[in-house]
Amino acid sequence: MNKISARQLYFFLACIAPVGKLVLMPTQLVLFSKNDLLFPALANFALQAGIIFLIMLLSRSNKTVFELLRYTFGKIGAAILSLVLALFFLYAAFCPMLEQKLFVQGVFYDTLPSLVAFAPFFIFSAYLCAKPIFALGRIWDFLAPVAIIGFAGLMIFSIGQADYGALLPVGAGGGKGFFEGFAYTLSWFYDSAIVLLLMGGFRYEKGMAWKSLLSYLAGGAAVLLFLAAYYGIFSDIALRQTFAFAKISKYFAGVTVLGRFDYIFICMLSLVMAFYITIPLQACVVCLRETTGQRGMPLWYAVGVNLILFAASYFSNFYNQTAIETVSVKLFWIFPLFCCLVPLLCMLLRRSPREKIVL
Amino acid sequence: MKKSFSEFKRRLPVKLYLILAAILFFIFFSNDFGLVDIQKTAIILAVGVDKSEEGYTLTTQIAVPQSQQGQTVTSSVQIQAEAPTLCNCLSDIYAKTGWVPKLIFCDLIVVGEELAKEDIFGSLDYFLRDEYVSDSCLLAVCEGKAADLISSSSAIDNTTAFAIEKLFSDASEKTGHLSKNTLKEFSIGYYGASESGFMPYIRQIPLEKEMQKEQPTAAKSGEDGGAQEQMIYSASDTALFQKGKMVALLNSDQTFAFNLLRGKVFSGIFTVHEEEKPASLTVLKNEGGASLNMKGAPTAEFSLNLKVRIHNKGVPSPIGEIADSEPTEELLSLAKDKISEDVLSIWQTCVQANCDLFYLKRELYRSSLSKYNEWKEVLLTTVQPNIKVEVSKVS
Repeated sequence: MNKISARQLYFFLACIAPVGKLVLMPTQLVLFSKNDLLFPALANFALQAGIIFLIMLLSRSNKTVFELLRYTFGKIGAAILSLVLALFFLYAAFCPMLEQKLFVQGVFYDTLPSLVAFAPFFIFSAYLCAKPIFALGRIWDFLAPVAIIGFAGLMIFSIGQADYGALLPVGAGGGKGFFEGFAYTLSWFYDSAIVLLLMGGFRYEKGMAWKSLLSYLAGGAAVLLFLAAYYGIFSDIALRQTFAFAKISKYFAGVTVLGRFDYIFICMLSLVMAFYITIPLQACVVCLRETTGQRGMPLWYAVGVNLILFAASYFSNFYNQTAIETVSVKLFWIFPLFCCLVPLLCMLLRRSPREKIVL
Repeated sequence: MKKSFSEFKRRLPVKLYLILAAILFFIFFSNDFGLVDIQKTAIILAVGVDKSEEGYTLTTQIAVPQSQQGQTVTSSVQIQAEAPTLCNCLSDIYAKTGWVPKLIFCDLIVVGEELAKEDIFGSLDYFLRDEYVSDSCLLAVCEGKAADLISSSSAIDNTTAFAIEKLFSDASEKTGHLSKNTLKEFSIGYYGASESGFMPYIRQIPLEKEMQKEQPTAAKSGEDGGAQEQMIYSASDTALFQKGKMVALLNSDQTFAFNLLRGKVFSGIFTVHEEEKPASLTVLKNEGGASLNMKGAPTAEFSLNLKVRIHNKGVPSPIGEIADSEPTEELLSLAKDKISEDVLSIWQTCVQANCDLFYLKRELYRSSLSKYNEWKEVLLTTVQPNIKVEVSKVS
């Protein structure tokens, strides 16, 4: 079986996972927290880093989460819980997919393309979902430098264009703003659930928990830098600037003169993002296969979940905003349930068939 | 050999699938490589917005690329529509012409003077809402109607929009004689704590008939079949806005002083009179700034540090003086007085118009929310200006 190396996992945490937070999350933060957008984002990154740290400690047993579930709840209990996890991952994949669709339609097209134009994404996604999830490591090896170059390019162009004074005064959003900003962006932070699923797919090495925590915080720091530049550039009209990362670099003098060559970096990040948003779908396929006891070819599961998502994309076409609001605001509690509470509860699971649970 | 072929056959569908997925995905990202069917698309270069009885009049200047003697020449047509909203106007243009109006290349939005006296975000919000309009496009207000400006015949370019945009080049901005602004910056000012902003104010200046005679090839036919009067344009004045309404106008001297305060000027020229004899000075170094000082009695601190040299004198001078372009102390003192007076007059204009041109309210908001809430209504009328101007020669 392919194993993910420690390096590949750090790449995911530091370089791939942060990219998924650059599209609509900045405007969502501004909507609720105004110029205090950095604080709820920081809180979310810190929370996720803490949970990932605990999951890494749990992974010292080198068992998959499904094995731990089987030891504790038996085969049927584990199958039911795997199905619940599969449904969560399918749900978690919905908003990132919508983001990607809206982003490409809004940024790469200058008139609204037909809905079918997004269909190739599902073909691509179905292919990836049919691959074993532990094969992701090799993809991350390739994507990490792409993400680093893309992000660095954008930041070089935009960092000098920002008025960082726009982030002042601290606390203008108030406690309510902080809480809402924190809670209503939780739907972008499902990385701990992904790491939970990857458990057993990598061999725990000494210090891996700390290194994973630091890797995730490093990625978080990059996102915070991006958020600061974004708010510094757009200030009081930041709320209007959806798809922020495709816009912040266009004010650079070189881009103004030579044209939008910053699209090279935007496309690089879009590519990374396309892979990132398929991860919950891959996780969904893995959970479904666990539910059915590994019956059937992975391709059929992959096609199935992608068809469901395609249908969801089709039927929500005129309700994109409502759909995103429902997932991120009205049902925000689902994410901490699966991304914080479930990993914490997993700490109580049996590490071996004969181990007793000590509360 | 047989085994490897069967392995190849087994993997072939997956490989074909992968290639298909990659091709489709690439095409999805490519946006058909950005190809634009110019037969069906109206590439709008500039728009003029005016108030009308029905709501707004939108005048668009649309590029019409044509091939002449093996060369591609861009000429333009002006299409006008009147409707309750700008969106309606664009739909109307589409209905009238069959061209899909495309604003992505629109670099200039001109607002008519009458409309500018209302909250212009009743109309400008369209450009902010539309993802396909660049927020880097230039904003300007014009004397009279924007429709007249957009439809006028430029003496320097076939396309009026290009002629006007020449005024707003980076090089001309550095001269300090115009204050350009973009939709993004203006919107930030409007929605920010200061609720203020500025735009260049464009005037049309008819070319003298004698000059037109010298350039017969540039003449265009007007609607009545006669020669349309050719125009050049000036944007040396600056319109000030408060809550989206044009509330005052800075003249060219004030505009120059304003740009000095923004620190934007390099090689800009201004003239002082020494015993009624003019002397033009070039600014070779410009450090400027405006800030709020809330320690003790609140003051608006204006600071300018200029290094200048003589560029021209309106009277004959000895060769030694021409060779040595250093201004005299008296000239420097006159320059300092002139700039100080201009800065003071800008401040007075802003106070009268309640326009926070220097974003002092924003500065207070950023430094202290409680003080901002306490002072925001009376800040401009309460604060006293403290103007510090240093003019020195290039050593």
